[in-house]
Amino acid sequence: MVRIILNRVYAVRDHWSLSASGTFHEGVHLVNGDVGSGKSTLALMMAGLLPLPGGSIEKEEITSSMLSLQFPELHVTGLSVAEECTSWGVTPDEILAAIGLSGKKDISPLSLSRGELKRLHLACVLAKDYDLLLLDEPFSSLDCEEKVKLCARIGQKSQGITIIFTHEQEILPRVTRIWEIVDNTLVDCGTPPDAFQHWRHVPPVIGKLTALGSRPDNISLDDLREASCRIQG
Amino acid sequence: MQDPRMRIFAAAFLSIAAFISLQGADAAFLWWLVFTPRLQIAKRIRLVFSLIFMIAFFSLVLELFGGGGLSYFSRMTVIVLIGMWIFSDQKPGEFLSTSVWLFGDRVGFDLGMVAEMGIQSLSSVAADLDRIRMAEKIKGLQWEVRNLVPAGLVLVHGALIRAEDIAELLAVRGYRSGGTLCPEFFVNPIDRVAGLCVLGVVISALIPVSEFFILYR
Repeated sequence: MVRIILNRVYAVRDHWSLSASGTFHEGVHLVNGDVGSGKSTLALMMAGLLPLPGGSIEKEEITSSMLSLQFPELHVTGLSVAEECTSWGVTPDEILAAIGLSGKKDISPLSLSRGELKRLHLACVLAKDYDLLLLDEPFSSLDCEEKVKLCARIGQKSQGITIIFTHEQEILPRVTRIWEIVDNTLVDCGTPPDAFQHWRHVPPVIGKLTALGSRPDNISLDDLREASCRIQG
Repeated sequence: MQDPRMRIFAAAFLSIAAFISLQGADAAFLWWLVFTPRLQIAKRIRLVFSLIFMIAFFSLVLELFGGGGLSYFSRMTVIVLIGMWIFSDQKPGEFLSTSVWLFGDRVGFDLGMVAEMGIQSLSSVAADLDRIRMAEKIKGLQWEVRNLVPAGLVLVHGALIRAEDIAELLAVRGYRSGGTLCPEFFVNPIDRVAGLCVLGVVISALIPVSEFFILYR
């Protein structure tokens, strides 16, 4: 069984610090937190791209991992959109048709809008299966429709550990476990729906539904709709 | 040095002294050893080692094919060290204050603001470069020459986007040219001693030591 264990991991920078402990099992995990709380730093440390100032990270049975950075342009290594797809080891025609960018195969990826580039990048990343998939702010630069599609795509994942680092509060996928960075510490809120009572920055809509006596089962739009329908009157 | 005006003038004179003669370079290096936090500079700006390595390479080529490589290496290394010191000691707003002090609220403000933006974009470019290297590692690519072209494109693209964003923000806020600023500078006694020593370095660069001793005899 794949899992990743954080043993008293900590990072310090100027007037900021982060400490994290916990075990991530197979499934989709949400790591929520304010902007600047340390989500990206934690993602980089979990990907093994930043040295750990303290603590350790154990990866069990994880043979392949991938980190998607928040800004998709930083991943660009191809001089054309097609070349960029190839650099991810995916077939350009197939991917580009799926995201509606077939006509832009020969242009520079940097000529795409931020939203288009994000779609292209996520399509390439999600085209393959990884034991550990770390998505740093995957919803940024996407419109509502694309966010919903991304949630559906993440929901289709049936194996491995997927960790979503985001401050998004509205459109989210169904998740296995919720984590939150509060006061410079990673806190395990638990599994939904019980996690909602420990989640300090619980999305307002979930808070309102719970207050009205109709707590959603999970955090996806379908769960929220279902909870809304349960409200009497 | 707390006063950015003194720091800029010190850096300018020390660089000139180091460039014009080997004695000047030696004296400037001595000044750098005494008055700057040497280790902190090296820690904060890792680029210093790469630059010195590059200078060493060109110096070796010069020494082998035309001579004077050692002198070139000494002088250029000191200039790089002085440059690194002024860059690492710089705090946000200092170029703006110095420029306004020198050239006034209109031209000085504009020049200072451009310098501040330039310095800011340097740190953004350095942060981007770090992330690009990570992204290449994620894709399993080696950091090699042929990957420099797309990396360079991403860096230039990012810098242009940021410049455009800043220009739009300034325009939205009604900026046209110039501004009001009352710069304040603080000088401590050690800075005054360091400033006087800069004069000594410049004099040592201008008057060759051998001639001084001949005159003395």
